[in-house]
Amino acid sequence: MDTLNELLGGFATAMTWQNLLFAFLGCLLGTIIGVLPGVGPVAGVALLIPLTLNLDPAGSIIMLCAIFYGTQYGGTITSVLLNTPGEASSAITTIDGYAMTKLGRAGAALTLAAVGSFVGGTVATIGLVFAAKPLGELGLLVGPPEFFALMVVGISLLVALAGKSMVKAIISGALGLLISMVGIDPVAGAPRFTFGMDRLLDGVSFVAVIVGVFGLSEILSYRKNAETPLVHAPGMRSLLPTRTEWRRSTPAIARGTGVGFGLGLIPGMTGSVSSLLSYAAEKKFSRFRHQLGKGAVEGVAGPETANNAHANAALIPLFTLGIPASPTIAVLMGAFLQQGLTPGPALFTEHSEIAWAIIASLFIGNVLLLLLNVPLVGLWTSILRVPTPILTAVILLFMVIGAYTINFSVFDVFVMIGFGLLGLALRNLDIPLAPMVLTLVLGPLMERSLRESLEISQGDFSVFTSRPISAVLIGVGVLIICSPLLKFHKPKALTEDPEA
Amino acid sequence: MTTESLLTKPERAQRVAPSVLAGIGAFTAVGVYVLVSSVDLGLWTSLGPGPGLFPFAMGGVLVAMSALWLVQELRRPSEKAEGIDRGMVVSVVVSLVLLASVMDLLGFQLSMFLFLLYHLKLRGRRTWMTSVVIALAGSVGAFYAFNYGLNVALPVSAFTPLNLIGL
Amino acid sequence: MSRTKITAAIAAAALIALTGCGANASANNPASGDDFPKKGKSIDLIVAFGSGGAVDTAARLVQPILEKELGTNVEVINKPGAGGQIGYTALTGAKPDGYTIGATGSPSVVVSPLDPTRGAKYTRASFEPLGRQVIDPAVIAVQPDSPYKTLKDLLDAAKANPKSMTASTTGLQTGEHFALAQIQETTGSVFAPVHFSEGASQATTAFLGKHVDVLVANVSDVTDLTKQGKARVLGIMTAERSPSLPDVPTFKEAGYDVEAGTVRGYSAPAGLPDAIAKKLEAALQKAIEDPTVKEKMSALGLQTSYLSGTDYEKFWAGQEADFKKVLPLVQKKD
Repeated sequence: MDTLNELLGGFATAMTWQNLLFAFLGCLLGTIIGVLPGVGPVAGVALLIPLTLNLDPAGSIIMLCAIFYGTQYGGTITSVLLNTPGEASSAITTIDGYAMTKLGRAGAALTLAAVGSFVGGTVATIGLVFAAKPLGELGLLVGPPEFFALMVVGISLLVALAGKSMVKAIISGALGLLISMVGIDPVAGAPRFTFGMDRLLDGVSFVAVIVGVFGLSEILSYRKNAETPLVHAPGMRSLLPTRTEWRRSTPAIARGTGVGFGLGLIPGMTGSVSSLLSYAAEKKFSRFRHQLGKGAVEGVAGPETANNAHANAALIPLFTLGIPASPTIAVLMGAFLQQGLTPGPALFTEHSEIAWAIIASLFIGNVLLLLLNVPLVGLWTSILRVPTPILTAVILLFMVIGAYTINFSVFDVFVMIGFGLLGLALRNLDIPLAPMVLTLVLGPLMERSLRESLEISQGDFSVFTSRPISAVLIGVGVLIICSPLLKFHKPKALTEDPEA
Repeated sequence: MTTESLLTKPERAQRVAPSVLAGIGAFTAVGVYVLVSSVDLGLWTSLGPGPGLFPFAMGGVLVAMSALWLVQELRRPSEKAEGIDRGMVVSVVVSLVLLASVMDLLGFQLSMFLFLLYHLKLRGRRTWMTSVVIALAGSVGAFYAFNYGLNVALPVSAFTPLNLIGL
Repeated sequence: MSRTKITAAIAAAALIALTGCGANASANNPASGDDFPKKGKSIDLIVAFGSGGAVDTAARLVQPILEKELGTNVEVINKPGAGGQIGYTALTGAKPDGYTIGATGSPSVVVSPLDPTRGAKYTRASFEPLGRQVIDPAVIAVQPDSPYKTLKDLLDAAKANPKSMTASTTGLQTGEHFALAQIQETTGSVFAPVHFSEGASQATTAFLGKHVDVLVANVSDVTDLTKQGKARVLGIMTAERSPSLPDVPTFKEAGYDVEAGTVRGYSAPAGLPDAIAKKLEAALQKAIEDPTVKEKMSALGLQTSYLSGTDYEKFWAGQEADFKKVLPLVQKKD
């Protein structure tokens, strides 16, 4: 009952016209980012952080959350209409989504995806409401050694899933940790790797690094003569699914919700894993599995539900334990920290009003997305007709403003340019970028918990294996890293992607 | 996937791409630098774990992984990456560096206007009309939107005649 | 056609010139302080510790009154890490235009520039003290189910088995670390310190999860915990008992000559124009001495003890001299 009261209080805050406006703007911007090829959710959210810095904490986080799940839906539109996923997590949707477009059912596909996303997102948010308190109390069991072990598990999962080579993924993770160490040592206060530059005492600006590594490097790696695709918005009449389509997608949406919610809770899992596994589930369990690949609604409704359920469920470990589950969530956590909010059990005790307002806004955001996306499909597709040079120029403009406004200095613009080149080099060497983002945020937390653990044990490294919870977690992490040696091969479909 | 690449015999005698070698070399160099400087920072002090402990571990990981990568490459060189559009990279990076260098002097509006005009008109070959309208919106428009709408101050020019007219 | 175009162009040019002059006029004379703070421009209040600690709580109590007095938004920004040093670096590195102020707490702010190994980029002269708010004495507490019922039990055990118990601090060379060092110096009891460099709320969380044995903290951190029976406070390091913990004996009563605590106030980066400093100081005094703020502070176990900017500066200088003497206790010996 207590929880419900607090949630109602959250709704009261989230329903003020400013916050509704922020949620609305966030959904709008998020969908645009999702639609635009090239600007992924990681760079997109990072790019828009500076816009929100001057808002109050609740408004700013509400907007960024809305951007975050807006991108999930925006990616669907291009997958269905163009056969090119705007986001990695919508990649699998192209198979049946584009097939439906060819059959003239594009509108129905988009509507079902929107409804599925709504259901998945809402169910996951309900989960967040009821899991937040109990999980937060469980948080007391998590001391420094357990916290460290938990982060090891998250990073090793991401490393194991990212890219084709685990060696390269580990390099990416180690680079992220090293970058996060620039600045004043968070424990003893000694400057590290600052090369005598006072500007670096506060560390390399997180936003500038992410915008550079993800956004700028993406633009730098555009191919020559990329053609603007021809798209036609589906007519309004075809937006409504038939009764059979509704009936067929119901079980798919239910399965997608389950898969997305479950995987979203696990640190290190990305939304693309959820959508892929949901597609696999449809292949196995759907009554119409023989039609998959030829334009079956299940192939759209399932994965799209799953990735949105995942996106919302992934906020649970962030809110309750302060652990970001995926690169995008890591960026979101960076924004929390910049607003002076430390995600974790303390969020509900220290800033419970803001925390519940954010949760309430997730419900509102899901409704907004449903209302926004279906009728506005025409608008979204027209964005795709904007010629590449104009898009490039506008995106560069936002990157420069974004980097400049972090500290109001051109230093961060140079940082962004430098990391853009680093990102380009990493892309060319086929090194996945996702582990780097996660470790960039986790770096200080990991280091602190490592050092606190060793202080508790007075220098004995066995502190990680002598305590039951951390021993199990470390064991899981080692298993994941060693899985290739043990011949646990990951599904082939998973080798391509993560969220980048 | 690691074992696969370690265990599979080379199918064709290929050479490791120079860019890959350069990458491995760079990561090793960074790793060694971190290892050395973290020893200086102190791995362990009388007060407990020192500032160098965690960087030391990461430097070690970086060197070890670079070595493993080299072994993998020697056994089976990776396929050549798709080429990048060098002209594009140079023009974007150089224009950004120029923009960042002059932004404090010329002010946001003038420098951003020129930057956008370059990308839209000279590189993007848009019409004058489109280029100028977008460049104006992105420079003057953005300046006022941020300054008065969001209370975020973008830089004004350091030169007297320019900053007097609000640029 | 062409005439209308020309008219439009002139009108536009005039408009731009006008707004431009307006913007410049206000930008060019910050010293008068009349237009400080600019309407709609928010003031950042940097807290060098994580949210939920006493510094943070006090700052958030003061914030709404400051907003009312100054007529603009005041945002509390947490920049935790390195026992306050990261936040203090950000504060002193900010422009002295009044739009960035910070909570400063000693000993952390006093001591960090004194130890060369920390490489702090600021000294006492980098701060412009605006006002002192509170003195928060240090306490020592154990788990409610601990076998140690009195201060003597605990300290004797730590003397007999040095480093057999872990004790929390809020970072290297912070008030709690000094308290531990002073205990060691005067009583010979040795604890193994665990430094939660983000601040008191992290230290308290770890104590509640029983990851550390002994909580060394300030009165304000343990007032609630004591009421809820989650911690047993054994001693307070002041001359007199605290009104919010009347049952807790002082160290002196138990026969140990140890006094330690944290002193907190607010400062701006040095070089602030006088007029702006006066405005901020006045607003802070109003906020600190506001009856409801005082009441809420004492509910947290904090006794308000206001000092003006100049007096706070003198106090600060005095502390600097005192801490120089005890600094070797908490420095690394290699």
